[in-house]
Amino acid sequence: MKLPWPAAMVGLLMVVNAAHPADSLCPRPSTGDGQVQAVITAVKALQKSLTAEQRKALEQPFVRDSAIRWSNLPVGVVPRTGLRLGDLDVKQEYAARRVAAAALSACGLKMLDEIRIADNFLKNVDARKIGWDGANYFMSILGTPSEKEPWMLQIGGHHIAYNLTFNGGREGATPLFFGSEPIYFNMGDTDYEPLVTQSAAMSTLARALANHAEAKLSGTFTDVVKGVVVEMVQGQLPKGGTDTGFPMSYPTGTTDRGILYGALSAEEQALVRTALETYASLPGDAITEELVAAYESPAALAETYVGYSGQPDLTAEGSYVRIDGPRIWMELIVQRAVADRTKLHYHALWRDKQSDYGGEIGAR
Amino acid sequence: MMTLLCAAGCALALAHDAPNSLIKLDFVGDSVRAEVLVPESELAFATAAEHVSEPFADYLLRHLSAETPQGTPWKVDVRSVSNVTYLGHAYLSAQVEFTPPPGASPRSFVLIDDAVTHEVRNHVVLVLARGAANQEVLGMLQYPARRLVVQRLSATAQK
Repeated sequence: MKLPWPAAMVGLLMVVNAAHPADSLCPRPSTGDGQVQAVITAVKALQKSLTAEQRKALEQPFVRDSAIRWSNLPVGVVPRTGLRLGDLDVKQEYAARRVAAAALSACGLKMLDEIRIADNFLKNVDARKIGWDGANYFMSILGTPSEKEPWMLQIGGHHIAYNLTFNGGREGATPLFFGSEPIYFNMGDTDYEPLVTQSAAMSTLARALANHAEAKLSGTFTDVVKGVVVEMVQGQLPKGGTDTGFPMSYPTGTTDRGILYGALSAEEQALVRTALETYASLPGDAITEELVAAYESPAALAETYVGYSGQPDLTAEGSYVRIDGPRIWMELIVQRAVADRTKLHYHALWRDKQSDYGGEIGAR
Repeated sequence: MMTLLCAAGCALALAHDAPNSLIKLDFVGDSVRAEVLVPESELAFATAAEHVSEPFADYLLRHLSAETPQGTPWKVDVRSVSNVTYLGHAYLSAQVEFTPPPGASPRSFVLIDDAVTHEVRNHVVLVLARGAANQEVLGMLQYPARRLVVQRLSATAQK
């Protein structure tokens, strides 16, 4: 089995940092923890390791068209741009991993690894040329890395899209899409379940919500609600499949958004905070600390709704859980698997109604 | 090229289980013609929720309409319905003609559709203007939104 990164490299970059506030969720924080200086240092080292052609692929303008070019579809359907991680030599791969390790938490890095391994698993299950492959993951730098001026780091492929914006203190962690097909699998002698932490937290929350009739959302869910939009034009290759719908509109008012946080018991309220923190624990803490503080402020929580649909234990297709506050928008949906139709798979999405792309990208 | 299209289309269908609806508008003379593509997989959830069994044309007329900006309804006719496979997904395709009331501009109206979105919360209706060479996205509808303001300049003014 070929891991997406060399095993020795994985161990090397799992450096203990006991000060990480999400220790209970994410026990092995990574080196840089999302600090912009650490990310810039790692990016510069990566740039030095690349050929001119590779640098051209890595470095792109920080404009809307580049920023919204992430997807939840395989790369054979929606081709990505950027530096293809599967094309790197060992030294370059090490440098790219240093960038990821600087920007992401250990949980976020582990999820990236396991989702890439899941794509390798799918490659063995489904021979269609859809682009399943852990090598088909990409890294892009949008704009010029700076401690003051806005720029973005994107790391993504089929089932993960990190869109991290650094803009001198108002960092953005979203849109952050992640998914898993299969939900759990075995490769070699290892069992994997990439979204186990997030799905368990959302399922625990949904099972608590099932005790409240007003928490049940109306309608049917077949995917995340605020995901990518596929523009299909007959006679042409599929167009879109990226975030062309940005900026999104969100539910307003008080109906059909679930139950208010304030109507839950203290124990149930803790489940809401735990669930949102499992999503927020993926990028480095320096990126998400202020976001979580904003989401968990008393004023924000007073206007936060949580709702579910389908099976609260997330064992059936169409099961769905959502956290919807003044800024926060987090979803998880259970869908039919694509490579093996007997199985299920997850899509999850975190958006921030104010700071997707760091608040730096406007409408088309 | 066709092989490439098929491969990509089939892959898209298999990799994306929640296809969108499309409404492709043709601005022709005094009326607006439209091809309305509704994915059968998503429509099934919507019709099941209503517990109705009726021809698709009748169902569509209960969920698709147009009106002037002032709220006067347009005449809507479903000319035909066919089954099509579009980029690997099964769709119902309806040819629809929208006719404005006398004196109203055929290029300024409110399009109303909730054929699928009244039930499927993630479903998106893409509204396109069909041109000679390409198609332009005019807007999208997703629950709870069901009304899209359409304003097209005259063909002359757009050149």
